[in-house]
Amino acid sequence: MSKFTYNDAEYIVEPSGYDIRRVMPDGSSSLVAANLYYGLPVQEAEAKAQALVKSIQPVGIKVVGPDITRPNMIGDLKIVGPDISRPNFIYWDKDSTSFPKSS
Amino acid sequence: MKMKDSVAIVTGGGNGIGEAVAKYLVKNGAKVAIVDMAQKNIDRVVGEIKAMGGEVIGVQANVTSEADTAKFIKATLDAFGKLNIVVACAGIIRDGTMLTIDKETGKVTRKMGLDKWQPVIDINLTGTFLTLRDGAEAMVNGGWEGILVPISSVNKVGQIGQLNYSSTKVADALMPKIIVGEFQMRGIHNIRCVGVAPGYTATPMLTGMNQDALKALLHEVQIGRLVEPEEVAALIGHCVENGAIDATTIEITGGLCYEHGIAK
Repeated sequence: MSKFTYNDAEYIVEPSGYDIRRVMPDGSSSLVAANLYYGLPVQEAEAKAQALVKSIQPVGIKVVGPDITRPNMIGDLKIVGPDISRPNFIYWDKDSTSFPKSS
Repeated sequence: MKMKDSVAIVTGGGNGIGEAVAKYLVKNGAKVAIVDMAQKNIDRVVGEIKAMGGEVIGVQANVTSEADTAKFIKATLDAFGKLNIVVACAGIIRDGTMLTIDKETGKVTRKMGLDKWQPVIDINLTGTFLTLRDGAEAMVNGGWEGILVPISSVNKVGQIGQLNYSSTKVADALMPKIIVGEFQMRGIHNIRCVGVAPGYTATPMLTGMNQDALKALLHEVQIGRLVEPEEVAALIGHCVENGAIDATTIEITGGLCYEHGIAK
């Protein structure tokens, strides 16, 4: 069994096949993978386990989509994406020639 | 193509049909990547597959994200070295009618919002597209024989109250013809695409519903019971191994007769 730490979690590589177990800082754990790398030498299995963990749980910039509170600006042009929680509205009672105010 | 020693990705593999498919493939000798949004479900299924002696990885991912899709494809290749089977089970429902009408006034009181429409389109349609697209890319570039399986639904014919869901499932059902046509055009002959369209299936979504409503549903089913997820999984397994099934979507409904609520 070997251990390595990656992105604040501890990973344990258990040679029973090879299992990879993730242990979170609060002590909870889960199986990332099971029964891998049959027949491989220990060092090679551990190197593959480390690479696999980095593929499954990469550390990077998380893109969460357009942020209407912090729009991108190109000069004076404000670029905002669609926000399904705040849809665009058509104001039927304002200056539309296609849909003139009816009352 | 044999299931034994093949490598599969199953999105939505943390419960329901996806879980049954993953376990069926493992029982028949495949290695499997479980992809799901819920880590708790991944943990349970990965643990159970380990107990079966199967080779498995679990990847938490959002199938609507290109970055996450790239992540679970790469992780699968890193773990198992190839990819042969992609089953896109991840899906959701957000039921409701397009318009709600006040019985007394006859006027519209509510419309289906984008909060109900968009997530269903994103997961059931865009998610399936991304999963199949990147799965196929890996198979083509790797030179591996493979099969792509979008999961449609019998509600592809049009279910009242499911404009969003039915719209995605009819699109998913159409994918095999287009994808295979494009493969044929590009000279790709070793990757098939077969959709599966289950009827009322015994997943937590249905078994947890009002039991009287469930009984009413079963009146429409000839076999008088829900389709078991394992039966859907067995059909997918057959599609994997029967190389003549291609460019079509197969229904598995237990003999569902469209008496109520289906727009023909």
